[in-house]
Amino acid sequence: MASLHRRPLFVVSALAVPLLTLAAPGLLRIGGVPPSWAVLWLLPWALADGPLSGALAGLALGLLLDCLHLGGATQMPALALLGWWWGRLPRRGPPIERSFSLGLLAMLGSTLLGLSVLLQRQAGAGWAVLLTAANLHTLLAQVLVTALLAPMICSLLLLLWRRHSASARG
Amino acid sequence: MPFGRLSRVPWLRPVVGAWPWALVAAVLVAVRLSKGALLSDAYALLSRPFWPGSAQKEWLQAAQQLDQQTRLSQLELDNRRLRRLLDLQRASPGKVTAPVISRETGDWWHQLVLGAGGLQGIRAGDSVIAPGGLIGRVASVTPSTARVALLTDSASKVGVWVGRTQRQGLLAGVGSSRPVLLFLEKDPQVRPGDVVVTSPASTLVPPGLSVGVIQSVDEKAVPATLAVVQLSAPVASVDWVQVLTRQGPAAAGS
Repeated sequence: MASLHRRPLFVVSALAVPLLTLAAPGLLRIGGVPPSWAVLWLLPWALADGPLSGALAGLALGLLLDCLHLGGATQMPALALLGWWWGRLPRRGPPIERSFSLGLLAMLGSTLLGLSVLLQRQAGAGWAVLLTAANLHTLLAQVLVTALLAPMICSLLLLLWRRHSASARG
Repeated sequence: MPFGRLSRVPWLRPVVGAWPWALVAAVLVAVRLSKGALLSDAYALLSRPFWPGSAQKEWLQAAQQLDQQTRLSQLELDNRRLRRLLDLQRASPGKVTAPVISRETGDWWHQLVLGAGGLQGIRAGDSVIAPGGLIGRVASVTPSTARVALLTDSASKVGVWVGRTQRQGLLAGVGSSRPVLLFLEKDPQVRPGDVVVTSPASTLVPPGLSVGVIQSVDEKAVPATLAVVQLSAPVASVDWVQVLTRQGPAAAGS
């Protein structure tokens, strides 16, 4: 199973995450809020490649994204945790290629990521402004658009990567 | 009947028969005697649909605007010269025009990435203006790009000035598209519609750049009055911006 990281082309595909974050295509937004591209890439990667590779990919993505953004808030711990959790999922339960569970996982993941960023950003500004309407709007819109895009993007990537690892094994 | 009897006189018959021409001649004489009053009235009545309308008004307004712009640039020149005499603004800012190559205005971070950087003379801390006014300050610089923290970012704080009531305030982003203006005193006597410019006492940004318009005022806020400001520059749709570069600290000190 854990063979995706040996293919340089698949590893390089992670570069799409910072590029899409910078480009922020206007069509794929809800209320001006773009989806969390890191979650959309990390979810199929971790599901196809296992917990250790998922956590490392989360760390690497966090490093990339942190240097793109203002201020000291970091996404590394949340992304590493998500990669590790999603990597452990296929071993326990039934297979989860279904669109609904992919959307649900992406929703939980982007909620966790958004909350971690929100807590870090507001810790400096003071706790009184933690739940302003603007922050709530950003959080909800990002969770919504990520969960809507996940069945489309994640299932395609997952199909591609599962097929590759199956052919590598067999 | 005298008229009937006259028409029976043979040599008078053509004269009486030409009475419509006599009427025309009388009208012409009347026009001549009244110096054309009847004629110009009739012309006015007929030509009323073609009288000068909005087009001419636009020309007049354009001329007025041009006049105001020239006066404004003249006053700006005067202002700069007087400030230089007073040594208030040591280094007159240069302007670097830069394209916006990445725009994240809806995410947790409100930032732009510009396609010009350290090689063009941009330094961290420079002010960034767009058509309409100040939009943010440069947060970090690479050789060919610069990252701008917008005024709407929740870490941004800039000192501003309400010109009508002459009060200072602190413009702080809250993560939405409209930053909040925090006043220092309890009753700043501002009302919606007041224009907000950068503070003349600020050392971070050049004084007198327009920032926005107060949209609503919350007078019951603690600890002091709080107002919501609509930025005058359209941050979400701006494509080219200008960076007001300052000279280096050594040059500014001299």
